[in-house]
Amino acid sequence: MAEEFNAEGMLDMYLFENTQLLERLQEIVLEQKDEECFDDDGINEIFRTMHTIKGSSGVMMFDEITKVSHKLEDVFYYLRESHPQDVPHLELVEHVLEVADFINGEMEKLQNGDSADGDATEIIASVDKFLNSIKGDKKEKEKVIKENVHEEPKQFYIAPVATSASHFYRIYLTYDPGIQLANVHAYKIVYSLKEIAEDLLYYPEDIISDESSADEIAENGFKILLQTQSSEEDLRGLIQEGYELKKVDIYECTAEEYQQGFDAVGSEIRIDLDSSVEEIEAKAQGTEGAITEQPEESKEPEKPKIPEKIAPGDFVIESKEPGKAKKLAKDKPKKGEKAAFISVDVSKMDMLMDLIGELVIAESVVLQNSDLRVPGLKLDNFNKAAGQMTKISTDLQNVIMSMRMVPLTNTFQKMNRIVFDVSRKLGKDVEFEMVGENTEVDKNIIEHISDPLMHLVRNSVDHGIESIEERQAAGKTEKGKVTLSAKTESGKVWISVQDNGAGLDREKIIAKARKQGLLDPYKLDSAYTDKEVYQFITLPGFSTNEQVTEYSGRGVGMDVVVSNLQSIGGSLEIESTPGEGSVMNMKIPLTLAIIDGIVMVVNKTSFVIETGVVKEFVGVREDMLQQDPDGQEFVMIRGEAFPVLRLGDFYHLPNYEPDLKRGMLVIIEVDKENICLLVDRLVGKQEIVVKPIPDYIKKVEGLSGCTQMGDGSIALILDPAGLLEAYSK
Amino acid sequence: MIENDVQERDTQKGKYVTFKSGNEYFGIKIQYVNEIIVYQEVTAIPESEDYIKGLINLRGKIIPVIDVRLRFKQPPIEYNDRTCIIVITVKSTVVGLIVEKIAEVVEIKDEDILPSPTIRHGEKVQQKYVYGIGKIGDAVKLLLDPDKLLNDEDLSLLEQASGDVSEEGE
Repeated sequence: MAEEFNAEGMLDMYLFENTQLLERLQEIVLEQKDEECFDDDGINEIFRTMHTIKGSSGVMMFDEITKVSHKLEDVFYYLRESHPQDVPHLELVEHVLEVADFINGEMEKLQNGDSADGDATEIIASVDKFLNSIKGDKKEKEKVIKENVHEEPKQFYIAPVATSASHFYRIYLTYDPGIQLANVHAYKIVYSLKEIAEDLLYYPEDIISDESSADEIAENGFKILLQTQSSEEDLRGLIQEGYELKKVDIYECTAEEYQQGFDAVGSEIRIDLDSSVEEIEAKAQGTEGAITEQPEESKEPEKPKIPEKIAPGDFVIESKEPGKAKKLAKDKPKKGEKAAFISVDVSKMDMLMDLIGELVIAESVVLQNSDLRVPGLKLDNFNKAAGQMTKISTDLQNVIMSMRMVPLTNTFQKMNRIVFDVSRKLGKDVEFEMVGENTEVDKNIIEHISDPLMHLVRNSVDHGIESIEERQAAGKTEKGKVTLSAKTESGKVWISVQDNGAGLDREKIIAKARKQGLLDPYKLDSAYTDKEVYQFITLPGFSTNEQVTEYSGRGVGMDVVVSNLQSIGGSLEIESTPGEGSVMNMKIPLTLAIIDGIVMVVNKTSFVIETGVVKEFVGVREDMLQQDPDGQEFVMIRGEAFPVLRLGDFYHLPNYEPDLKRGMLVIIEVDKENICLLVDRLVGKQEIVVKPIPDYIKKVEGLSGCTQMGDGSIALILDPAGLLEAYSK
Repeated sequence: MIENDVQERDTQKGKYVTFKSGNEYFGIKIQYVNEIIVYQEVTAIPESEDYIKGLINLRGKIIPVIDVRLRFKQPPIEYNDRTCIIVITVKSTVVGLIVEKIAEVVEIKDEDILPSPTIRHGEKVQQKYVYGIGKIGDAVKLLLDPDKLLNDEDLSLLEQASGDVSEEGE
């Protein structure tokens, strides 16, 4: 029993970690896809990612994943070690993505409880072919590279999770080469640092018992990785330059770099040294010499021969490192932030959310308790304490809300991938731009919008952007552009997909709509506004694309987009300028969990409607209401007629008698259409926690959920769009 | 741990919560029952079937409740202080059953359970929900299949049969 549970946990962990690694991998790849080649950091990161995946898959015995990641690791090992020129970059990008897709696919199978039975032979073969092609004639290297791959694991050092206040430092101490007992000096420093250190790591490791470390320190210096709360100044106070200690270099680094341990300090620098040796040697002796030289060096880190060769050795380390440190600091702040995240099961978050909802309600039950309304009761102290509690619970509510908010970055990154894939397959050249990807949206909403977004982005690349020839003919730049942007405005998130393609063809859409009988035959084409015309493309089975491609043209898609958006209370607006491109605007609520609502009562039932759609309240007099011959009721307000919906009658509430003397008209506006709800009484405005109506009860038109009121009773939440739709039927 | 589980299963085995609805006593396997609460105010859901009385707030969880009498097409009666709600979980759906009166928890041995008779005038509807008849001495409990009770795929059939049954019920 227990063992089984453990295996489950391991699989979860495996899937979770690798999903994150792959996400990060794709991010790197796509960031650099338009460059000439990957930069060093990118290569290292991809290499490490593949290595980690290989390792963990090996432990879990997913052989195909292990094999395929091993193969890609080989490629990047080669790139990292040999810096070959003229690598076909796009081809490489495709290979990386292909491998990532394969692993993702397998992991999905595992997630669903299936076995990872995919066959990676083909992918391995193609990657292998690619590796051989970039290696070209330098075949003799291959053997060496493979040997090296298996030495890597010792680079991985996992440091304790840092608190946000911690600083990470790399400290390099350079001693007078003539120093005696350098290891004792080094130990003294380690000893003094131990007092302030949260975590401490140094190289050479064995400075107490191994006397040869003294020579090593004297020659190559002493390296310390330190995690501490103290500032750099404090450190300088502890480690003072002196007679024998020639130089103290302290560099602050990110948690991520720190966790790489001496990988960052040792091997990367070693590689840099190697490459410079190689370069120097290559100049001096020609390529042949460099190749034979390299294997020995990379097998034995810190070989004293290197500093000797480029004497004085310290000079090389010093000249390299400041540059390196700056570059890392500039490039990797993002990763530092990432390390501070922990992942929490969404269901736990939901539970917390529910509990806080409960708390808010319980609080109002206490504070408005009828026992408190005894006349003459002195409540000063009570009220003070109650105020304090209200403040805390409001804060708590805000915090949980902000915890549920996640930036759109990941979702947008995925779109980058789609643009890349689709444009490559269609032979188009498309640039992808993201604006405002840090906009934060409720987690639940993100889940609902990634599908619609994918459709829209695909459509933009496929339909929107013209082929290169067409673009040239129209006098546009060959490169098309798709812009994905997000912003928050008045409690809603606006996400738009913009392309600079041909725009929507109004004539074509009208022709198609006529053919499908969607238009009023007696109405002229010109009588339809652009907006109305563009809305036709959101109807099921409507596609003006003559050719069905892999990605679009079947007429499914836009209607799915619209229905998905509607299900979360969002909407889609389409703008288009012929020849200049089109914009798809999605308007989405910021959160589904808590809304600001107006509570009203009809008969004995409480209803809530979100405040945003309410235009105004009008006290009703019987003579205001009029009926047209169809029995359709309407009300004239300031010369404008609004249709009236008696909520009680609409829902056939039992024994409903509208109280026209005291009734209220609530005018709501959805998509520029107005409707007037007749209710008995308004209760007030309130923040409400939205809960779904249990699945067991069939969907009721115009209701989107329910909520618990302060007294423990339940109110029904009205869905304005659904209400309007149901009404117009 | 495992032993406890087995024990618990053993202690629950063959036990039924019985309640009265109309003139009959019904039984539900105790495994399905979460708890029994006294009747509380129900918020009606418009436009739903009449036996679905609406929603209640069970310590922050909003659950639907159905009236068993109405479900059996028996005429409704006023709720009083004996009216209870049996909260059951069936296939992870939590539903409350409004019943007239809780009787007791009884143990019925497997050999005392007869399959429900197939042809009996006027019991067509109940047959849909009753999978067996448990005997305790002279008393008879109709054993309910809660899954079928909640599931209303045979609604049209029920409605056809409903006329004569409501007479039978009282």
